[in-house]
Amino acid sequence: MAVEGINVIEREDGVAVLELDLAGEKVNKFSTPVMQHFDEMLEKMMSAKYKGLVVISRKPKIFIAGADINEIKDIVEPADAKQKAAEGQRILSKFEDLPFPVVVAIHGACMGGGCEMALACDYRICTDDKSTRIGLPEVQLGIIPGFGGCVRLPRVVGIQAALDIILAGKAVDSRKAKKIGLVDDVVPQSMLEEAAIKKVLEVAGKGKRKKKFQAKGFVPGLLEGPAKFVVFNQAEKMVKKNTKGHYPAPLKALEAVKKTYGMSNREKALDIEASLFSEVAITDISKNLIHIFFMTESIKKQTGVHDKDVKPKAIKNMGVLGAGTMGGGIAQLGADKGIEVRVKDLNNDALSKAFVAAASIWEKKLKRRRMTKFEFKEKMGRVSGGTDYAGFGRMDLVVEAIVEDMKIKQSVIGETAKHMPEDAIIATNTSSLSVTEMAKGHPKPENFGGMHFFNPVHKMPLVEVIRGEKTSDVTTATIFDLSKKMGKFPVVVKDGPGFLVNRLLLPYLNEAMYLLEEGMSIEEVDKYYLKFGMPMGPFHLIDEVGIDVSVKVAKIFHEAFGERAKPSPLMSKIMETGRLGKKNQKGFYLYDEKGKKLELDQSVYKDLGLSTPTNPYNAELCVNRGIFAMLNEAVRALVDDKIVEKAEEVDLAMIMGTGFPPFKGGLMKYADSIGTRKITDELLRFADDVGPRFKPAESLMKMADGNEKFYDKF
Amino acid sequence: MGNPRDVVIVEGVRTPFAKAGTKLAEVHASELGKVALTELIAKTDLDVNQVDEVIIGNTGTPSDAVNISRVVALNSGVPQNVSAFTVHRNCASALESIASGYERIKSGTADVILAGGTESMSQMPLVFNKGFTDFMMNLQKARTTGAKLSLLSEFKLKFLKPRITLMEGLTDPFVGINMGQTAENIAKDFAISRVRQDEFALRSHQRATAAHEKLAQEMTPVFLPPKYKKVVEEDVGPRAEQTIEALQKLRPFFDKKYGTITAGNSCPITDGAAMMLLMSREKAESLGYEPIASIKSYAFAGCEPSRMGLGPVHSTPVALKRAGLELKDMGLVELNEAFAAQVIGCQEAFASDKYAQEKLGLSKAVGEVSDDILNVNGGAIALGHPVGTTGTRLVLTLMKEMQRRSDVQFGLATLCIGGGQGGSMIIEKEA
Repeated sequence: MAVEGINVIEREDGVAVLELDLAGEKVNKFSTPVMQHFDEMLEKMMSAKYKGLVVISRKPKIFIAGADINEIKDIVEPADAKQKAAEGQRILSKFEDLPFPVVVAIHGACMGGGCEMALACDYRICTDDKSTRIGLPEVQLGIIPGFGGCVRLPRVVGIQAALDIILAGKAVDSRKAKKIGLVDDVVPQSMLEEAAIKKVLEVAGKGKRKKKFQAKGFVPGLLEGPAKFVVFNQAEKMVKKNTKGHYPAPLKALEAVKKTYGMSNREKALDIEASLFSEVAITDISKNLIHIFFMTESIKKQTGVHDKDVKPKAIKNMGVLGAGTMGGGIAQLGADKGIEVRVKDLNNDALSKAFVAAASIWEKKLKRRRMTKFEFKEKMGRVSGGTDYAGFGRMDLVVEAIVEDMKIKQSVIGETAKHMPEDAIIATNTSSLSVTEMAKGHPKPENFGGMHFFNPVHKMPLVEVIRGEKTSDVTTATIFDLSKKMGKFPVVVKDGPGFLVNRLLLPYLNEAMYLLEEGMSIEEVDKYYLKFGMPMGPFHLIDEVGIDVSVKVAKIFHEAFGERAKPSPLMSKIMETGRLGKKNQKGFYLYDEKGKKLELDQSVYKDLGLSTPTNPYNAELCVNRGIFAMLNEAVRALVDDKIVEKAEEVDLAMIMGTGFPPFKGGLMKYADSIGTRKITDELLRFADDVGPRFKPAESLMKMADGNEKFYDKF
Repeated sequence: MGNPRDVVIVEGVRTPFAKAGTKLAEVHASELGKVALTELIAKTDLDVNQVDEVIIGNTGTPSDAVNISRVVALNSGVPQNVSAFTVHRNCASALESIASGYERIKSGTADVILAGGTESMSQMPLVFNKGFTDFMMNLQKARTTGAKLSLLSEFKLKFLKPRITLMEGLTDPFVGINMGQTAENIAKDFAISRVRQDEFALRSHQRATAAHEKLAQEMTPVFLPPKYKKVVEEDVGPRAEQTIEALQKLRPFFDKKYGTITAGNSCPITDGAAMMLLMSREKAESLGYEPIASIKSYAFAGCEPSRMGLGPVHSTPVALKRAGLELKDMGLVELNEAFAAQVIGCQEAFASDKYAQEKLGLSKAVGEVSDDILNVNGGAIALGHPVGTTGTRLVLTLMKEMQRRSDVQFGLATLCIGGGQGGSMIIEKEA
């Protein structure tokens, strides 16, 4: 296959310019054909008489996006993986071996393989543009840099700066890149090529550059040299703490750096890197993380509706009804992304909470110097508020986040619609009420839909975009698009009790209560789920959500789904003990004033009339009961009720909305890895041993007959 | 009815006013302006892309926001392509901003203008004196350590005496006397007794207190940065419990021996902002707005700097003439209460044939301004006088009160200006 769009231009002054502009691709990336093309091209260049070479991209905001992930995701044999890395290393090493200096001119994203190529060259110059980001994100996909990144980055920027980037899969901006020595100079975009050529002419004839990082100062010198074991030990501790042992890639990357740093034999060092790469590249964890990457990339291209002609409306002015925790969070996020936000609440004291919430989030950024005081003022300036409908006449969209009461919501929505432009949209942030029912309060129900954020709004990446029966395509697409603009991953869900995430979460939380009733200890259960990979155990989660809220939602679900959603009797009992969870510092656990989790509240067993826990079940059983209950409900939501259309939507929602372990690829992916037959058998056993609520969904039983996979069918 | 190029006032909003050093002390003038302007834009559902210009009065000129109008505009969501400038006519800066807007609209240059004023008198800085400034400059220029050391030995303690910009601003730069002393001059010229002044001050508090609900209608709360936990919802100045006895006890501030001007019968230095939306009649009609008032005319005029408090008497006849009206046509008058003595002095001079003939070149007195129509909701003695803001506040309070009264067609807003000027604006009720 011929590769078009890679051209070498020989200038009169003896400098050659290698232009990258892959034909038929939005970005430059390293696929096998591209690498082969480089291989032949570089081979020829070995005997060229250039003064030097400049490598530059002609794509608007991309230097090189990295290796083609599609080629990595299907590798299953370690030998194939190693071969893949070794081949890339061999070709990129040719840049290093060219007999003249090579200057890389970077504008836009320079990631993964692109960064590794730049590291193989002699000099790096980048633009000061915001789009310019240089980094090695490999560990985020469960792999490690395998084209020489683990070997070369520490030689260029030192161990500490290199580990900082490699182990977290980070990218740095131009300022940071210059500071750590990843680039030699930062220039405005219009001068990039000129600066690169100047650099070539300046160093021409002076031989190749040696990549050897020199630490400045005595202590940094020690840490980069004789005492580097301190840095490695610290890094290992940090990685173990952050990954909780679920993600092997950062540890492998660390091993690669540790084993190869200072090694004089390049081929041997690269071989070690390739071997370690092959060990992680074939893991399910890596496949799952790549799967998630593709899911999130696909969201970027989606519009939330099937009709391709539907265009979302642009939202410049947004109203927020209710200045509580959610309303304040939504207002902050909107203003943060450049939308003018107007908050309405009943009085100034209530209103001030929205300002306090917004200011405190930005203040943290201000303190960490992630934001200037001018940006703070600008963003804060975008949040205003009042107790009347002032400003609503120019609102494109209003998010309703008032008290969870159908009658009040309906009447407020009707009143608000009167003050807004005729075609403006109202979106409810309800977590438990029917959007279709609520739409009856709106004179034009087609302009009404759900926009369900999760708490805390600025951290949780999911938005459930809820289509009521009458919600129009334009309304859906607009809410979907706005969610993306606000930096979230939207998933379109049909109206129904608990929509998707809460519907699946509740059986899981309920099951934890049953386990408690049956003699399991709170801490053991939470611990087992942490080990499974959940970000927090179910009891801790109930505390976070609020015990009152959980109980209320449990009741709604019981009414909606009947016997299978019957709440554990402990649900109502725990309410009677006055525990509300984190918000009154007393739930299953105790919390300090700032909401930091302290130890278990030992009196909780006695208050619930339980004897000392006997812990009758092992980890596997405890976890399976919760996760399979969740899964059973997921089948009903996905297959029977069609709340979402695809298995991957369930997975994205559960990962982004509940922190379901990404390394498992999501709930349905996890189910597929176990198999529908085994899950069904287990559920049937639970139904016999524990209770009929575990009876597998009909559609699950059907799938179990052929041990069908969700990802094949949905 | 009306000319398409008539200048109409669609709406106005102000922040609460707070005596300097109290509730709004930590709020930058640009933030105060932003609060008022943001609310004005919201309240009128204004499409900010329609705005042609933002004109804001300010006298303190904060060194970190020298063209404060631009800072306020951008922080209020006015698009970047809309221009903005700051005007300074001392105490009438925020009347000048409206007048500048009026001229632009009247001439057809602009159709939509945001005009107003903002001031934080709490944040007027102390500056280094000339001696210290020179010392620092020379120190920077000195190249060798020796030269630096020898310069350091020239340091004098008097270098540390700051210049208080607030006090300098309140001192007339032509005759070198404080504003309070200019009021003393008027009190003596017209033999205005201490008790008359104190009674006037008391009435200002009483009227402002009684008008609490009305004044609330022209205000928007200020949520206090940087934490935004506290909110200022009402003016700090008006005192319901103010008594004549308490006022009588105060000692004269400027002329300790024969003086009558006290802190009680003068306005306090104050923080606050006020903004209004001006449009051409045709634009307002096409956008479907129902304006509150239209501007008939305005005038500025000069007078003796040492009697600057009589400025309104000089500017008002000019404004009346331009409007083709007489003082008796004014149903309501807002005359800024810089000092009780100065307001009473104006009333006297307005009614005086002698003053008209000697100082104004008129054959007879301008007319009467009765207590019944003057500052009916209190004035600056109670509410305060944020220098760069007051002009807009007067027009705002005036038009809102005209709106409430069925029998008032025309109103006058006027104020004296430090340095020896007066400013007047005549408006007509629309709605």
